[in-house]
Amino acid sequence: MNKTMITINNLNVLFGQGNNAIHAVRDASFTLGEGESYGIVGESGSGKSTILRALVGLVDNWSGEMIVGDQKLTSKRDKSGRKLMQMVFQDPYGSLHPRRTVNDTLAEPLIIHHFSDIDERILNALEEVGLGREFRFRFPHQLSGGQRQRIAIARALILEPRVVLLDEPTSALDVSVQAEILNLLVRLRADHGLTYLMVSHDLAVVGHLCKRIAVMNRGVIIEEMSDEQLRTGEMNEDYTRQLWVASKGYDLEALDKFIDFE
Amino acid sequence: MNKATPKAGTISRPLIEVENLSVNFHTPKGIVEAVRGVSFNLGKERLGIVGESGSGKSQTGRALLRLTSGNGSISADKMQFDGIDLLNANKKTLCDIRGNRISMIMQDPKYSLNPVMTVGAQVAEAYRIHARASAMEARQKAMKILEDVRIREPEKVYQLYPHQVSGGMGQRIMIAMMLIPNPQVLIADEPTSALDVTVQMQVLALLDDMVRVRGMGLILISHDLNLVSSFCDEVLIMYGGQIMERLAARDLHKAQHPYTRGLLDCLPKLSGNATILPILKRDPAWLEKVGQI
Repeated sequence: MNKTMITINNLNVLFGQGNNAIHAVRDASFTLGEGESYGIVGESGSGKSTILRALVGLVDNWSGEMIVGDQKLTSKRDKSGRKLMQMVFQDPYGSLHPRRTVNDTLAEPLIIHHFSDIDERILNALEEVGLGREFRFRFPHQLSGGQRQRIAIARALILEPRVVLLDEPTSALDVSVQAEILNLLVRLRADHGLTYLMVSHDLAVVGHLCKRIAVMNRGVIIEEMSDEQLRTGEMNEDYTRQLWVASKGYDLEALDKFIDFE
Repeated sequence: MNKATPKAGTISRPLIEVENLSVNFHTPKGIVEAVRGVSFNLGKERLGIVGESGSGKSQTGRALLRLTSGNGSISADKMQFDGIDLLNANKKTLCDIRGNRISMIMQDPKYSLNPVMTVGAQVAEAYRIHARASAMEARQKAMKILEDVRIREPEKVYQLYPHQVSGGMGQRIMIAMMLIPNPQVLIADEPTSALDVTVQMQVLALLDDMVRVRGMGLILISHDLNLVSSFCDEVLIMYGGQIMERLAARDLHKAQHPYTRGLLDCLPKLSGNATILPILKRDPAWLEKVGQI
């Protein structure tokens, strides 16, 4: 493996206080090297998105250690950290400002980071995600779901980050559009040597993009598996195997053996 | 895959017969043809309608209950349920059918549940209206069905308001509400897309039971080709408001139409090697009138 890009050690995230506190992430630890794709799968409420949100600083109440590049993350983030790591959100219908044009959305991070060649970078970014320059002055409502997600990816990449966090980037899209976005992500990683940390409930999407996959249940990473295990279905944990069987399609016989995991 | 499949076509008369159904929307920019000449029959079986967004699959389902919105018009050569002409039925007949004999699970629980009523009361109401039962009996029935849709601690959930439950739980509550009057036909519009895979399977097993044990007819509308093919008996593949291909679900891998093939090919596989997926190339010829399939 190359140089380590992200190290997470004993990450704990708590929401709420006292007796009502919800322990969303418990003692999560993993590392990923530069240029690697790492996936996290789990059901809703398992804490997978919370890890990403803690990494980018959207969640405050965490403890443990998170190192990205050579920066140790604290509750206070600076601009260089933002430039190192960017995030693509799940719902392209909610993540773009409805009253700002594509140009405004893409220019904002560039202005904040004092770039001078804004025009050129915006046109480059649009081309990079497979949209022409005619999309530059459109509003989100003039774009399809796939086009919006391309804009969201362009916004994340316009600062040339080293790490991209992907929170269910294709779950709101049709399968044919999903394939296009996945291909785009594969190409961008190859072109720029990006490191991906991807979260999804869809085993096939994560399994397509990532070599190593962590499985989460109720805030705990219960297993880390390889792409080989994902192909053969030889997992160590029953929970993972059940998830794997369920993602293969409807099968009444297998269903009878399902149990609830606490 | 599922051997417990009842043979399609063993029933004497279909529950729903549709011939040449079209749905048009009149908009300021002209007429939008959402559904164009769709025909199918539904017996006591599981029929899947698959397509991407905008393919007309949901509008086909809504038209059956005449729930097409105000600027839309429905036309058909025939649209019958159990011998009743749905196309020309009056309000009273429709009221007797909707929810009671044909019920429909909507896509989004966030917008389809009443926000100022507890979920339990909503489920019980569905039973009281259709079965004229006492409050006590309705409450017990509601508890039972909440348990059937795999809600843990139904007593606790009964008293919650829709904003207090998760999306997946909301979806299961909707399913409970639609199943409680014991309908003959259930139209399920993406009933499981908000659910986790394991819960999804359990909910499908519940619908499966209704079909096999109580002899219900089920129309499952979905974008998930894999799911539909493993669950249903027959699958219609829609594109641009028309049926592109009609297949027995087990023969899906033998699909001939380039659109179906394209949809199958662009699904990601559990390979981990991040290969480039084949992209679906849309042929403008698919939008031309294809006639009856």
